[in-house]
Amino acid sequence: MSLLLFDATLCLLLLVLALASILSRQLVHGVILYIAFGLMMALAWARLATPDLALAEAAIGAGLTGALCFSALARQQLHLPVVLSWPQRLWPAVFVLLMLGGVLAALLQLPPTASPLVDVAQAELINSGVSHPVTAVLLNFRSWDTLLELVVLLLALLGALQVAPAAKATTSWPLSLSWSRLLAPMVILLAGYLLWAGASQPGGAFQAGALLAAGAVVLRLNHQLNWLRWSNFWIRLLIVSGVSAFVLAALLAMLLTTDNTDVIWLRWPPQLAGGFILLVELFATLAIALTLTLLVVGEPAAAEQAQQNSGGEAHD
Amino acid sequence: MMVLLLVLPLVGALLMLLWPKIAPLLTLLTATICSLAALQLLLQVSEQGSQQILLAGWPSGLAISLEANSLSCLLILLTTVLQLLVALYAFATYRRDKLGTGFWPLSSLLQLGLTSLWLSRDLFNLYVCLELLGLVAVALVSLSGDKAIKPALNYLLLSLFGSLCYLLGVAMLYGAYGVLDISALALQWQTNILSTAALLLMTLGLMLKAALWPLHGWLPAAHGAAPAPVSALLSALVVKGPLFILCLLWLQLASAPQAVAIAPLFTGCGLAALLLGGVSALRTPFAKNMVAYSTVAQLGYAMLALGLLLRFNQPLFAAALWLFVLAHALAKAACFLAIGEITATLGGKRLNTLKGASQTMPLAMFAFAVAGGSLIGLPPSGGFLAKWALLQGLWLQGDQLLWLLAIVLATLLSAAYVFRVVVLAFDRADPVAPDFAPRILPQWLALLPALAVWAMALYSEPLLRLLKQEGL
Repeated sequence: MSLLLFDATLCLLLLVLALASILSRQLVHGVILYIAFGLMMALAWARLATPDLALAEAAIGAGLTGALCFSALARQQLHLPVVLSWPQRLWPAVFVLLMLGGVLAALLQLPPTASPLVDVAQAELINSGVSHPVTAVLLNFRSWDTLLELVVLLLALLGALQVAPAAKATTSWPLSLSWSRLLAPMVILLAGYLLWAGASQPGGAFQAGALLAAGAVVLRLNHQLNWLRWSNFWIRLLIVSGVSAFVLAALLAMLLTTDNTDVIWLRWPPQLAGGFILLVELFATLAIALTLTLLVVGEPAAAEQAQQNSGGEAHD
Repeated sequence: MMVLLLVLPLVGALLMLLWPKIAPLLTLLTATICSLAALQLLLQVSEQGSQQILLAGWPSGLAISLEANSLSCLLILLTTVLQLLVALYAFATYRRDKLGTGFWPLSSLLQLGLTSLWLSRDLFNLYVCLELLGLVAVALVSLSGDKAIKPALNYLLLSLFGSLCYLLGVAMLYGAYGVLDISALALQWQTNILSTAALLLMTLGLMLKAALWPLHGWLPAAHGAAPAPVSALLSALVVKGPLFILCLLWLQLASAPQAVAIAPLFTGCGLAALLLGGVSALRTPFAKNMVAYSTVAQLGYAMLALGLLLRFNQPLFAAALWLFVLAHALAKAACFLAIGEITATLGGKRLNTLKGASQTMPLAMFAFAVAGGSLIGLPPSGGFLAKWALLQGLWLQGDQLLWLLAIVLATLLSAAYVFRVVVLAFDRADPVAPDFAPRILPQWLALLPALAVWAMALYSEPLLRLLKQEGL
């Protein structure tokens, strides 16, 4: 009974927060409400028994997206009051309602049986090298999808680097600086734990990377870690390492396949699968953390290049 | 071979990100090797039949399946060859046009996304490919700098909306049948509200991403704002990716009643695209926008062929559909490169800039006219082959006079906008003076795909046979 009450409150709160963040008159309020919405959403995922999603939602949806919105707001120069006429508001609403109605009507027809693939996946779990099914799907059964998703993340950064506006000089607040320094070791420890735990329980590269990124973003916005920029070769190497470690591991696995069956792309040798997955996850974590940090901080590549050219000569 | 085609552009792109200085050379190298590999794969497949692999060595259903049939191989070959041509053009002009260093790794990743899309036969993997393609395309459009931010952002938002619609459809199908592999899904397919709703949602998303009429509004601005090599890649290849998935869905998954029910929508949209896109191309004052609107119109032929194929189930329409895709890709690449070269040299975006271009830049103008011939469908070009297959199919069905008339009207419209440019270019009384001496090499590179599309006619028989068999 109490759980039902909790769920009902959560659903209501989600709806209220979503509406409030859309309807709030000031963008700042909207962002704050949106962060609260993200946290509630994470709770909702946890209630739906998907802790992996809950962790990701808390780290990305509430944490990093909130920081991204705030830093975007800080750089926004114009304050244009956007006034939409009623028809302009009405058409999207009608469209969304119609689509939502259709989708809901269709979803009511969903059969209650679970997918036959779940049994197959559970049966093959012992051969996958990890004991957590989500990690097994992500890094073994459907690793090609994950590899391409890492490329998508990299692409998001490449696109953002091109359009990023010039950074505005801001001063940092001493309290937030010392607080973020205090938090940093804790964040690293937690991220390490999440990564390690991913093999057997909820967690893994994406959640760990997002957490690390959150710590780095706070420090970076407080003008620490100034070497953390795209023009730095080593940072670039680490960002690219997520995908390249994946590819190299796959090539290595191809070489290690000694039996006479034909070589198959992305098949980990069954005895070494756990090791391969941990290796891939480790680099993926670092790459995800750095990519997300640079995405949120968002400094233009061109300006950095110029700065590096002038500074680089002094170094040499 | 398939894996090589996927891994090589990826590794190349990663190396380019690390060492931007060698990026142009590396792009040319990977594109050359991939073109040869794609040719090899095509020959292999046409001899031994289609190849299938299950990635990561898991049983079917759990693993992602890739399939290389002759259509996929043809499309891969088209992708790699156009990639090579555009990379050569970009290499010849990047210093002059101040093309950002971002172009090289992005174009390699574009090749990766397209190749994996042509090969994939898994609904969720196709979503990832779509996402990859959409983001690369937006990043490429934003290479133009500040003026491209608005079209790029519109493109991004609409593309994300399209992806989400597609993903929602995939989630519904997975919820209903519990499999993602297309061939496995086709075996269990039932005609009910759920599958129809999922198909319609996915169709909405894909039509938005492929800029099929009436969801084409973002295309002219985005393709017009991008640098010339980027527009060529986007118009020739990127919009074809979602179209391919759309065909996969309706030809392999949908049951016969569903296919027949949707056919009028596709033929209607195709016809409207042909007529209204053609009229827009006639009216726009900007050179690149005209070529972009012509893409909207030409995609109408593909839509029309798809609709007729669903309705009559006649293999000639499948051949027409893919011939249109191939011919349009080559012709449009030539058009964009030629127009890009002319507007860069003569300095201006408006069509008036092209005045007297047949005198100042004869080679580029020739490339545009030759490619335009294929867009109109003059014999013996690739465009003519496609249109001939379409007309022959209609003729065999009998009593389709209305369609024949509509196609004739669309042809006249495309002839009108091509000749609008050609007439302007031959107005030699007071030609627009070039800003600097026109360069020969980029003009030749623009001419190559135009010649290739006319050369398609030489291979008409094997092409027709192959596409009639394997129009998915």
